[in-house]
Amino acid sequence: MGRARFQTEEGRGNPTPLQGVEGEVVGRPRDEAELVARAQRGDDDAYEELVRMHQEIAFRVAYVHTRSAADAEEAAHDGFVKAYRALRRFRRGRPFRPWLLAIVANEARNRRRSAGRRQALALRAADQIRPGDAAPSPEAAVLESERRALLLEAVDRLSEEHRLVVACRYLLDLSEEETASALGIRKGTVKSRLSRALERLRKEVGDA
Amino acid sequence: MPELERELRDLAGTLEFPATPDLAARVRRDLPAQPRPLWPRRLALAVGVAFLALALGLAVSPARSAILRFFGIGSVQIEFVERLPEVRLTSPLELGAEIDPADAPFTLLQSDLLGDPDGVYLRDGVVTLLYGSPERVRLLVSQIADGGSAPAIAKKLVGTGTSVELVEIPGVAEPGVWIRGRPHVLLLPGGPPRLAGDTLLWTRDFVTLRLEGAQSREQAVEIAESIR
Repeated sequence: MGRARFQTEEGRGNPTPLQGVEGEVVGRPRDEAELVARAQRGDDDAYEELVRMHQEIAFRVAYVHTRSAADAEEAAHDGFVKAYRALRRFRRGRPFRPWLLAIVANEARNRRRSAGRRQALALRAADQIRPGDAAPSPEAAVLESERRALLLEAVDRLSEEHRLVVACRYLLDLSEEETASALGIRKGTVKSRLSRALERLRKEVGDA
Repeated sequence: MPELERELRDLAGTLEFPATPDLAARVRRDLPAQPRPLWPRRLALAVGVAFLALALGLAVSPARSAILRFFGIGSVQIEFVERLPEVRLTSPLELGAEIDPADAPFTLLQSDLLGDPDGVYLRDGVVTLLYGSPERVRLLVSQIADGGSAPAIAKKLVGTGTSVELVEIPGVAEPGVWIRGRPHVLLLPGGPPRLAGDTLLWTRDFVTLRLEGAQSREQAVEIAESIR
C-alpha cells in the first residue's frame, strides 16, 4: 500500500535495512539504540545518523502542524537541536521516535501562529494507482481518484484538533503512542478524539 | 479494519508532501558545543536570589498581600508575598488522575534510590509520583516537562518565615532551590491551592522537578541526585 512510498525516501543514507512503519513501531533496529547510546556519550556522528533516520517523519509531523514547508523545516531543525540537548534525559530502551516527535511537534506548534500562507495537503497528481493492486479500469481509477480528493478535502475541513489526530494516525501512519506524543495528549484521548473525527468524516463522505 | 480507516491509510500513499529537506548536515553544524556553558544561567539565578533576599528584608509594601518579587526556576514561578492567602486543607491530596507511568506525556525521570512509586498522577501536564499512600504521603516528586503541550506553570507563594536557598545537586548542571521553614502555598494548574512543606526545586535538562517530604536538605539533595 502507500507505505512503500514512505520507506523509499526514509531509507536514504540509512545503514539499516528498509522497513515498514509497522517495523518501526514494533521495535526500532538495534542500531538505533546503539546510536542513541553513542550520541548520549557525545558522539555527534551518531546523532547526525539519528537525524538522518528520522528527518522525514519529523519534517512531516511538523508540516501537518504548520502547513508551511519553511516553518516545518525550521521546527524540525530546532526540534532536533533541542532533542540533542535533552538527550541525557532520554531513557535508553524506550522508543526514541515518540520522544523526538513530541519535541519537534512542540516546536511546530510554537510556529503555527506565525504569519504566512498555509497550504492544504495535496494529492500527488500522477498517483492514481495503488502499488500492489491490479491496475483498475480507467473508470474505476477516476472514481477512486475523485473519492480520494473528496476524502482529503473533508479531512482538511475538520477542526484543527480532529485534522491533526487523523493526519498523525492515518496519513503519517504514526502509532497511537507516537500520535499521543506528537499531539501532547494521552493515548486514551487519541482514541476518543479519533473516533469523533472519524464519525465526523463519515457524516461528510460516508463509507465508500 | 473499517472501510473509512482503510481508505485513509490508502490516502497516505497518494499524498504529495513537500520534499524533506536534508536536515542532518545543518543540525550537525548547529549542535551546541560540549560541555554546555552553564555560568550565565547560574549567575542570573544567584543574583535573583540575592535580590529577593534583599527585597524580603525591606518588605515595605502598600498592599498587605502585595507580591514583593518573583522569579522562576524551570516551569515553576516563585512569588514572595507578605501574607499568604487562606488555603483550605485538602485531604487526600488532589493530584489528578492516576495514570500508568507509560502514559505520561513525557518520559519520566526515575530514581534508583526510591524505586517505583506507589502511584503516578497526572494533572494538566504535571506528573506527580507518590510514595506512600494518598492518605499517608511519604514523599511527592512532581515533574513538569518544558515545552509540553500546555505551558504548565506551577506557582509557589512564599511568605515571610520561609527561606529560600540555592543548593548544588551533584550531577545536575544548574543549582536547585530549597524552600524551607514555614509552609508555603503551592498552586498547580487545575488544582486547588494547598500548603506545602519543605520543598526542593530543580531542573534536569528539560524537566522541572519538585520534591516534597524529604526529612532534611541533605536527604532532599541525595534523592534529587538519584532522579535521572
